[in-house]
Amino acid sequence: MASQSQGIQQLLQAEKRAAEKVAEARKRENRRLRQAKEEAQAEIEQYRLQREKEFKTKEAAALGSHGNSAVEVDRDTAERLGRLQDSYRGNRSAVLGELLSRVCDIRPEFHANYRVAG
Amino acid sequence: MALSDADVQKQIKHMMAFIEQEASEKAEEIDAKAEEEFNIEKGRLVQTQRVKIMEYFEKKDKQIEQHKKIQMSNLMNQARLKVLKARDDMITDLLNEARIQLADIAKDPARYSTLLEGLLLQGFYQLLEPKVTIRCRQQDVEMVQAAVNKNIPIYKDAVKSNIVVKIDQERFLPSDICGGVEVYNDNGKIKVSNTLESRLELMAQQMMPEIRVALFGANPNRKFTD
Repeated sequence: MASQSQGIQQLLQAEKRAAEKVAEARKRENRRLRQAKEEAQAEIEQYRLQREKEFKTKEAAALGSHGNSAVEVDRDTAERLGRLQDSYRGNRSAVLGELLSRVCDIRPEFHANYRVAG
Repeated sequence: MALSDADVQKQIKHMMAFIEQEASEKAEEIDAKAEEEFNIEKGRLVQTQRVKIMEYFEKKDKQIEQHKKIQMSNLMNQARLKVLKARDDMITDLLNEARIQLADIAKDPARYSTLLEGLLLQGFYQLLEPKVTIRCRQQDVEMVQAAVNKNIPIYKDAVKSNIVVKIDQERFLPSDICGGVEVYNDNGKIKVSNTLESRLELMAQQMMPEIRVALFGANPNRKFTD
């Protein structure tokens, strides 16, 4: 009957529309998941840049402080060398005298365990 | 027919509405699930990457610390070496000066002959040999002979045995040394080196801790001195 086929047409069209609705929902789902990846990338990149910046500041600070410590160490060394020189100059002749007097102070001895043979 | 056209249409309308309703519900379900999955996935990705980045930068921070420490250690080491080198140079300077002054002492005949007597006797006592050869500088031969003559009776008296001394007239010590003698046993295989240089070296080596303390002061890091 004509009305039957019309009814079936209507149902078929309704099915078609329903399937389209669901297909679109699935399309949206895919898009959303892709978005998840992109947004995650963006956030992560943000975080990375921030950490990078922090690191660069730390690095620069470390380099700077090294220059300072080098200067300090040099100053300390120069001071130590100065003290050494003064001490040396002051005590040199005394030590020389003592050394030479010991060189000239010869005490010939033979071995403590020496026994005359026979 | 049991159903009229109007009834059929109504049924069909109901069925269409039902189909539409189902589809809408399904679509809503899909959307809701999608949203949930979106959040989970995004959160997961962010977290895993975040952890990786944190580890990476922590490692780099540690590297910087290490680097700093290494550089500091290098600086300290260089400084220490510098000071030690300076001390070593000073001691060398001292010993050179001592050698020069020793040469002057050797030029004084009275002191030098006393020295020679002592050096010779010490050499004899060290060897305790019946036959002995002496090497000296060419210019000292006479003084050495005199000293030997003085020493032989002293030796015989102390050691209670005889000694025959010969001065090597062929091989002399180089003339540019400060002075002193070398005493050999009869086959020349045992030597007592009693030149002024070797004596100076010996004394310097034995006295080295004392010299260091006298010149540079005691070591503040040393805990035990016995």
